[in-house]
Amino acid sequence: MAKNPVAVTLDRVTRIYKNVKGRPDVVAVRDSSFEVSPGELVTLLGPSGCGKTTTLRMIAGFDLPSSGSIRIGGEDVSMLPPNKRDTATVFQSYGLFPHMNVAQNVAYGLRIRKVGKTESDERVKRALSLTGLQDYAERAPGRLSGGQQQRVALARSLVVEPGVLLLDEPLSNLDALLREQMRVEIRRIQKSLGITAVYVTHDRVEAMSLSDRVIVMKDGSIRQIGSPNAIYEDPDSVFVAGFVGKVAFFPVDVLGLEGKGCVCQLQGKKVQAGKMAPGVEAGKKGTLMARPESLRIGEPGAGVVDGSVRQNVYLGSSMESFIDTEYGELLVQIDDPAGKKIAPEGQRVSISFNEAQVRVLPTDNG
Amino acid sequence: MITKDRLFKFLLALAVFAAADLWIYSTLRNSIRSSANAERTKQLSLLALGVPDNPEYIEQWLGGVEQSIEGGAAVYLRYSADDPELYDTLAVNEDALGLWQSIERTPDAEKGLEAAYYLEQYASTVALEYKGQKARVFYAPKPDEEGIELLGIAIFIVPEAAGGNLERLLGIFALGAFVFFAALTGIAKLLRDQIVGYAVLVLTLLAGVFIVFPLGEAFRLSFLKDGAYSLDVWTRSLSGSSLKALWGSIRLGLWTASCSTIVGFVFAFAIYRTSMRGKRFLSAIAQLPVISPPFSLTLSIILLAGNNGLITKQLFGLQNFSIYGLSGLVIVQTIGMFPIAFLTLASVLQALDSTLEEAALDLNASRWKVFSTVTLPLAVPGILSAWLLVFTNSLADFANPLLLAGNYRVLSVEAYIQVTGRNDLGGGAALSLLLLLPTLTAFFVQRNWVAKRSFITVTGKPNAKLVEIASPMVRRSLSVAVWAATAFIISLYGTIVAGCFVKNWGIDYSFTLSNISEALSRGGEAIRSTVTLAAAATPIAGILAMAAAMIFVRKSFVGKRALEALMMTPFAVPGTLLGIAYILAFNKTPLLLVGTGAIIVINYVIRELPVGIEGGVASLRQIDPSIEEAARDLGADESMVFRSIVLPLIRPAFITSMSYTFVRSMTAVSAVIFLISARWYHMTVLIYNFSENLRFGLASVLATTLIIIVMSAFGLMRLLVRDSGALDKTITR
Ligand SMILES: Nc1ncnc2c1ncn2[C@@H]1O[C@H](COP(=O)(O)OP(=O)(O)O)[C@@H](O)[C@H]1O
Ligand SMILES: [Mg+2]
Repeated sequence: MAKNPVAVTLDRVTRIYKNVKGRPDVVAVRDSSFEVSPGELVTLLGPSGCGKTTTLRMIAGFDLPSSGSIRIGGEDVSMLPPNKRDTATVFQSYGLFPHMNVAQNVAYGLRIRKVGKTESDERVKRALSLTGLQDYAERAPGRLSGGQQQRVALARSLVVEPGVLLLDEPLSNLDALLREQMRVEIRRIQKSLGITAVYVTHDRVEAMSLSDRVIVMKDGSIRQIGSPNAIYEDPDSVFVAGFVGKVAFFPVDVLGLEGKGCVCQLQGKKVQAGKMAPGVEAGKKGTLMARPESLRIGEPGAGVVDGSVRQNVYLGSSMESFIDTEYGELLVQIDDPAGKKIAPEGQRVSISFNEAQVRVLPTDNG
Repeated sequence: MITKDRLFKFLLALAVFAAADLWIYSTLRNSIRSSANAERTKQLSLLALGVPDNPEYIEQWLGGVEQSIEGGAAVYLRYSADDPELYDTLAVNEDALGLWQSIERTPDAEKGLEAAYYLEQYASTVALEYKGQKARVFYAPKPDEEGIELLGIAIFIVPEAAGGNLERLLGIFALGAFVFFAALTGIAKLLRDQIVGYAVLVLTLLAGVFIVFPLGEAFRLSFLKDGAYSLDVWTRSLSGSSLKALWGSIRLGLWTASCSTIVGFVFAFAIYRTSMRGKRFLSAIAQLPVISPPFSLTLSIILLAGNNGLITKQLFGLQNFSIYGLSGLVIVQTIGMFPIAFLTLASVLQALDSTLEEAALDLNASRWKVFSTVTLPLAVPGILSAWLLVFTNSLADFANPLLLAGNYRVLSVEAYIQVTGRNDLGGGAALSLLLLLPTLTAFFVQRNWVAKRSFITVTGKPNAKLVEIASPMVRRSLSVAVWAATAFIISLYGTIVAGCFVKNWGIDYSFTLSNISEALSRGGEAIRSTVTLAAAATPIAGILAMAAAMIFVRKSFVGKRALEALMMTPFAVPGTLLGIAYILAFNKTPLLLVGTGAIIVINYVIRELPVGIEGGVASLRQIDPSIEEAARDLGADESMVFRSIVLPLIRPAFITSMSYTFVRSMTAVSAVIFLISARWYHMTVLIYNFSENLRFGLASVLATTLIIIVMSAFGLMRLLVRDSGALDKTITR
């Protein structure tokens, strides 16, 4: 069901909404450049209002860049209307046609493309079975569950064999269980068809588990682009580090750079950090980040900071321990808790970290 | 999408077109001018040759010149036989003489005199002012019979405009061509959404040509007298008799609005707030007058209570009773318009949260107390709204007063008489403009103030549970009142039907079928033309309304609010004014439409668009925009989305708007009465004519026919809409 996948390129795209009725201009997307390779699934991740939807709508053609250009499969489509672009969108609210049944919904794009009846029937059937809807072809969309409606929307987009599949928070209207299920399914279908896809979400778990690469946005600007692993392990800014996962921050003074890492001072103590982000300079302030799994609990005074255990949460294969410190509440993840001695709640402890895993970030104000 | 390159190309194309346009225009204009001048000179020298030899007849000749040159005049210089330098100046017109004396010593005049002296014509190139108009002076010699000696010189003052009609037309076309070219190339070159661009262009043109232009003309012409600006029309219109008519309209409006609101409230309360029987039937009957044709209620009232009325004359033998006048009008208008109040109040009372009443009852308040302190105050915005709506309708009403006013005077009829009786279009325009003031005020107060308020007090969810706050006694009396009123309404319609089969109402009540055959043979042509015109307007108005609604809801463009407001204005403009405005605006080139069927269809479309647009807007707002975007995304272009997605989804609104247009066009009268012609007649006007000539049988047959047509149209609509009712729930997921 897929033809040759195509690449999507955004080149310095900006979208400004001019001030309506005296309100100031809104820069919804600022100077965004990125490329989605053929067959790749890239996620736009960021808090609500950061410009994800606007970016997606510009790719689809519902919105036009104020400046910059968009290419799909090498062709500059910046000025083309949506119907002339090789994209298909799965909308957050699905946008199913209420006056058509499921099969007619799915066949709509083929009807527009004047695909012959036999071929059309064949393709609709395949799209429905791909999305597990073969038994619902005659149903009106109003009489389907949320998950089924979601599948119809997906089938309707896939059946036209778009060069690029665009998905705008497609799972946000589903309950948690269904969401997880559909997430896996979307990824499976996308991979099996080898289709290029751009996926918008504000849910970091969704982004991490689905994507080949993640683009983290904030206030209209791209903050970082990378594989889920890179974004998680090696964020370049405090914002990205905090947005994509649980993390503890410590303010430090950077004393000197050392290979890939640096030496810093945290409250008079010298600490080694195995990694650092671009922009960290000796003699400046920085922020040291540590993921819960790179923190360890030890005897008071033995680690970097002292605190007391506020709460322990058992999760089976691991345990989360919340420690009150002068830097606020820190989360320490303890793997394989069964074989370990666990500090009970209320006990004073200290926290140390795995120096190879911690990373120093430039202190910014975002 | 605007880029520098495209903008440059667009401007270049404009410049080239403008140059060509201007060149063609000026070439044509000059040739028109020179041929008009040549024509003029020939005509004037012939005129000059006709100057009588006998000096006594010269004044008569001068008078004749004023007749033959419209708005012009002449002065004659008679040379004395003895001294070739001396002449008498003869004139019959002070203005002309004054003008001549003021230019007599100018070099141009001397040139003219010299030319004429040598027996040549001379056309002055100096533009002058004569009686407030631009004019030119021609000098023509009057030679003796041999053509040797000069006897005198005729000086003609000719208004410029005389040759200017063609020129004006040419100018309009040149400008129109340029604007049109600019708009079309602008859309094609600069816009990404070209279909929207064209749609906006069409709507703007429609609004400009068929709303702004005629209303503007009505306004302008009310300030003209004999082609010159003057306040004369307005001073006349603001004088005693017209003011009396204005007050008459307002007084009638006050009465009708108050009565209708009371009746409407009683109906709405009885049907939606008590556990009465037969609610559906009552509610259906209460809506009947809305779709019934004009004159029908009046007709039936006249049959029952007129000078030869069944009740007044035959039953009670009253001699001095007259239904004609204010009280009769209040009765028919109330019957005809209380449904407006009923429908408004029904939705308010239905939506009223009865938990409030329940709570009050639980606090042991008496039923009356609950009604007066809870129900009534909550319904106040709705009541005001209903009152204002009826008030505007009553003011704009034309049909009922036309037949039933008697000596009572109202503005709409006064304006009609001014136009048709006295052939004073400007005066008619002024009177109907006078009417605009109270109607617009009421309309905007209703829209912007009252209508907004009612959303605050009403929860908006129809309540399933009914709290009965009327005591059994009250309920029974309400029931009696409502059923009595309903019976009265039914009997009115029954009277019309009966009227069809009565030989000569009031005199000879024997049964006959001859009315039917006569009415159908005399009215057949009118029936056909009425149905044709309404049927032509129906799809146009329906599609335009939906397309406009689509654009107003989904697209943004410069001037959207203004265009929207403009398209809505015909709703608030009394039909009489629109009718008069149309004959004023479209009785001249290039839009000579008066007398055609087209102008009637256009008038219907323009008048019924607002309601259709409102319906379309309301139902589009319910539809998730991503439905249309999905279609777009799957490859459908703008017009395909409209056809395959939008229209099916707003089908109920579409059908409703079309049937509304059809019914309203079938029952139109106030505007159409000015626009009909022998070829394109309207049934309602025929009903009026028959009634005026006391041919009540014929009028009844036509009214009944009209009611049947209208009811069938409504029935059909119900059928079509019910069928798509299931859609409503699924549209918004
Ligand atoms: N049509 C619009 N007019 C004005 N501002 C808009 C419009 N659409 C989006 N915005 C603004 O642009 C910003 C980005 O919006 P959006 O792309 O929808 O964010 P996201 O999808 O990331 O939540 C927001 O501040 C939003 O208010
Ligand atoms: Mg969004």
